[in-house]
Amino acid sequence: MLRRFRLEEPETVPEASELLARYGDSARVYAGGTELLLVMKEGLAHYERLVNIKKIPNLDTVKQDNGVISIGALATHRSLSTDALLEERLPVFAAMEKHVANIRVREVGTIGGNLCFAEPHADPGTLLLVLGAKLILAKASGRREIPIEGFFVGPYETVLEDDELLTEIRVPLLPAHSAAAYLKFGYLERPSVGVAVSLSLDGASVRDVRVAVGCAGPTPRRIEAAEEALRGKSVEDASESIGKAGAIAGRESDAITDLHGSKDYKEHIVGVLLKRAFTQVVEQCR
Amino acid sequence: MRFEREIDIHSPKEKVWRFLWDIDRFIACVPGCKEAGTLEAGKSYTATMVEKVGPFRVEFPMRIDVLESREHSYIKAQASGSDSKIGSRMKVELEVNLTGEGDQTKLLLGASVDILGKLATLGHSMIKRKADQVMDEFAGNLKQKLEADA
Repeated sequence: MLRRFRLEEPETVPEASELLARYGDSARVYAGGTELLLVMKEGLAHYERLVNIKKIPNLDTVKQDNGVISIGALATHRSLSTDALLEERLPVFAAMEKHVANIRVREVGTIGGNLCFAEPHADPGTLLLVLGAKLILAKASGRREIPIEGFFVGPYETVLEDDELLTEIRVPLLPAHSAAAYLKFGYLERPSVGVAVSLSLDGASVRDVRVAVGCAGPTPRRIEAAEEALRGKSVEDASESIGKAGAIAGRESDAITDLHGSKDYKEHIVGVLLKRAFTQVVEQCR
Repeated sequence: MRFEREIDIHSPKEKVWRFLWDIDRFIACVPGCKEAGTLEAGKSYTATMVEKVGPFRVEFPMRIDVLESREHSYIKAQASGSDSKIGSRMKVELEVNLTGEGDQTKLLLGASVDILGKLATLGHSMIKRKADQVMDEFAGNLKQKLEADA
């Protein structure tokens, strides 16, 4: 059962940051609440205060700014899954959002909340890794921009400071002759494995490729060794090497045995999904 | 989940052995562990483990029972406790092996950690990462304290 708490409703980022600084461990940011309220109802966490940031204006917009798509942290999964700009300029992101969790979560859960809660079995972080996203973290005294690679520390842990908020996700548009895909597989409510690939072709050869694996281990991670097995090769040679790249990605995914599958099983699924995703992005690039 | 660490300590085995039985100094090496007490010297102890991961804070009052010990070489102990607030239990089986000659000791630490209840639903990766951190920090603290005393 949910225990009593006080709801604070700041209207600016500095106000929210000051509240978080003032109340420390007894307060927590509240946005969609789809993760936080669940653990609070289960009695796994309790806060005397929740700092509702949904009244802060302009934190839920999606806009394009010099080749970068800026996504407000308070945008819900549902709004992102149907956003016209995303569907036109970054369709892979809108497609991923269409399949986050379930309709109840997508309706109120926010992209910022998903990233900040850092639940290991989540989709957006993995895709954002191959898209080269940067995150804007803000507090009363200023703001900083960090690459998403540096955001996740471990399960449920990020580099966010106690009085800091994620306000914006900045995703560069894919260059010409490029595509990205995100595939996942699971048999429970949350995915067992998620694999993202982005590919840029230069004629018939792989100019750049990025591979990321999520859900299998503690945090989503880029697998640079798998990328090395594909980069610079002709599409045909890269396609032949995809099994080897998949085996590397599986090994390097830091997969762990849990309810979502054994380590070996997850490593195998990483290879299967990587092969499918690579085939898909090659088709899209052409 | 099973965790193992091998710690090379520049200190004689006898001194490492005495340190392991000095409950206050030993507990000070375990991150998150506080309020150590002795129920029966050499047999039963108490301590409280407090850990925080992201939004979760757990507090396990533990009872530690020494199951077996061979002087200067081996200790087997079992620790268990419950966090009633979050409805979870922790059980740890701990084995310590000491080998070495002269001023050099090799300490082999093995721990089997079982978490039951709601905390376990958060996933093994969180528990594994935290336990890895605790083991690494403990190994570092133990080595530092013993070598500083040399």
